[in-house]
Order: sequence, then structure tokens, then C-alpha cells
Amino acid sequence: MNTPKLSKSGIPAIPMNEPMSWEDWLAGRRTRRETGNRVAPEIIRRPSSSSDRRLRELFNGERGLPFKKTEEL
Amino acid sequence: MNADIIQAALADITAEADPTPKHLKLASLVSAVFRERGIELVVVGGSAIEFYTEGAYVSGDLDMCVVAATTALTVRARQEIMATLLAKGGPRSWQVSGLFVDVLSAFENLARTPIRRLAGPWGEVQISPVEELIVERVLISKYPGDYPPAHECATKLLAAALLGEVECDWSEVRRLAQCNAYKNWNDVKELVHEHAQALQVRNPCDSDE
Repeated sequence: MNTPKLSKSGIPAIPMNEPMSWEDWLAGRRTRRETGNRVAPEIIRRPSSSSDRRLRELFNGERGLPFKKTEEL
Repeated sequence: MNADIIQAALADITAEADPTPKHLKLASLVSAVFRERGIELVVVGGSAIEFYTEGAYVSGDLDMCVVAATTALTVRARQEIMATLLAKGGPRSWQVSGLFVDVLSAFENLARTPIRRLAGPWGEVQISPVEELIVERVLISKYPGDYPPAHECATKLLAAALLGEVECDWSEVRRLAQCNAYKNWNDVKELVHEHAQALQVRNPCDSDE
């Protein structure tokens, strides 16, 4: 893979025409979360959906696994 | 992919407690076993948005669609493939390694831009083009009525694209938003303008008039 192009926020950009490496994707996780936090609440998981029943059965009443906090990414 | 590798992959995914990499790892494994049978899958919906944005949006299911196939994806074939992952359920939704995987029908995609690709631990993961996700989420956020969860997804996707965290073809965003399937260019343009200002970056729609 080529050297990744960097975003304005300084992380490897998810490219248009070539695969992104697993390491590059992992490296940008925290910054991507921080970017989202600038425009919307940190956690935006939907409160309900048509899959509620099966999800809440599997995840102890929740709709999925808990998210890591931004500072833990 | 032999049974030992699959077993190790399933153990790794089961142990993964962080939802976003867990989804991506599972997408990589599922893609790999379908690919071996000549079927290419693409991640759609919430998981795709999550991979682009780390937006804390995804729930406990991973939605994938068929993007190409050299053989027919029969119910039997689906069950046989998912059996290699020790999956429970079917014929379109299975429980694997602590998540639900839904393999839906053919991929509905109007974008002319490439499906994006991430190199997962067990093979490449294909992701729905960001351009159409943006336009689609803006539409859902407004029609049939205001829907804040879709608005929040749209804003996080736009922020990632405006900052170049995902390469985005803005002329394709415009083309899609102007086509009959969406017809929401004014809504998209307004949101891009708003967030370009908020993030203090150039509005890519300004040079696209």
C-alpha cells in the first residue's frame, strides 16, 4: 500500500481507490471520534429499532456493546 | 481458510469488547468465507457509518449486502457458509461471536464512486460509498419527518468528509442529491454549508456550482 494521504485533522484518510491498512484505520479512531464530537453528541446510537427484541436479549437490555470513551480510543 | 484459522478468528472476535473493531473484524471474517465461495459482500448501514466516523452509532448487528457473485447465493449456500463460522440462525440473519450478522439482498447503490476498502485481519472489507451514505442520511433525517438520529449520522459523516478523514467526491454527492432517487440537493447543500462554517474549512460545494 502507498503512504497514506493525511486528513486535515492529521490522520490517514480512508482512501477512495485503494484499501486502507488495518493499522492506519486503527490509528485514526480517536481523531475520527473527536471530529464527530464537534458536530453531534458523542454517542448517537438509536434508542430503538425493529431489531430491538433480539438486540436487547443478547446485550442485557441494551442495543449493543458499550462504546469506549473517546479518551480510551 | 482452514478450520483452525476460523476458530482462532472467532475466539478473537468473541473476546473483542470494543464494538467498532468487533464489527470490522467480523465483517472481515464473514467477507472472507463468502469470498471463497465467489460471493462479494459490502457493509451497509450503521456499521458502514461507524467505520467512516467512529461515531458511536452502531448497535449489535452488522448488515451486509451482496455486491457481486459468481455463483447463486441460495439458502443452502448461505447456511453452509455460515455454518463454517459456527453461526446460529438463518436464513438471512445469524448470531456469530456475540453479534448479529444480516446478509441481505443485492446491494442498492447509485453512487459512481468506488466502494471503499479496509484491510481487515482476515481479508478486505468493502464499505458502501460515503457519498451515497451522506445523501441518504440527509434524506432520512428530513423525510417523512424530522429524524434526529439520521441527522446526527449525516453530520458526523459530513464532518469526516469535510476534514478529509474519508476521501469524498463532492461532485458525486451533488449528482446523487440532484437525481430523482433523492431530490434533496438543497438540504444537502445547506448542511454542508453549515458544517463547513462550523469546522472552519472551505465549503466544497462553493466551487461546484
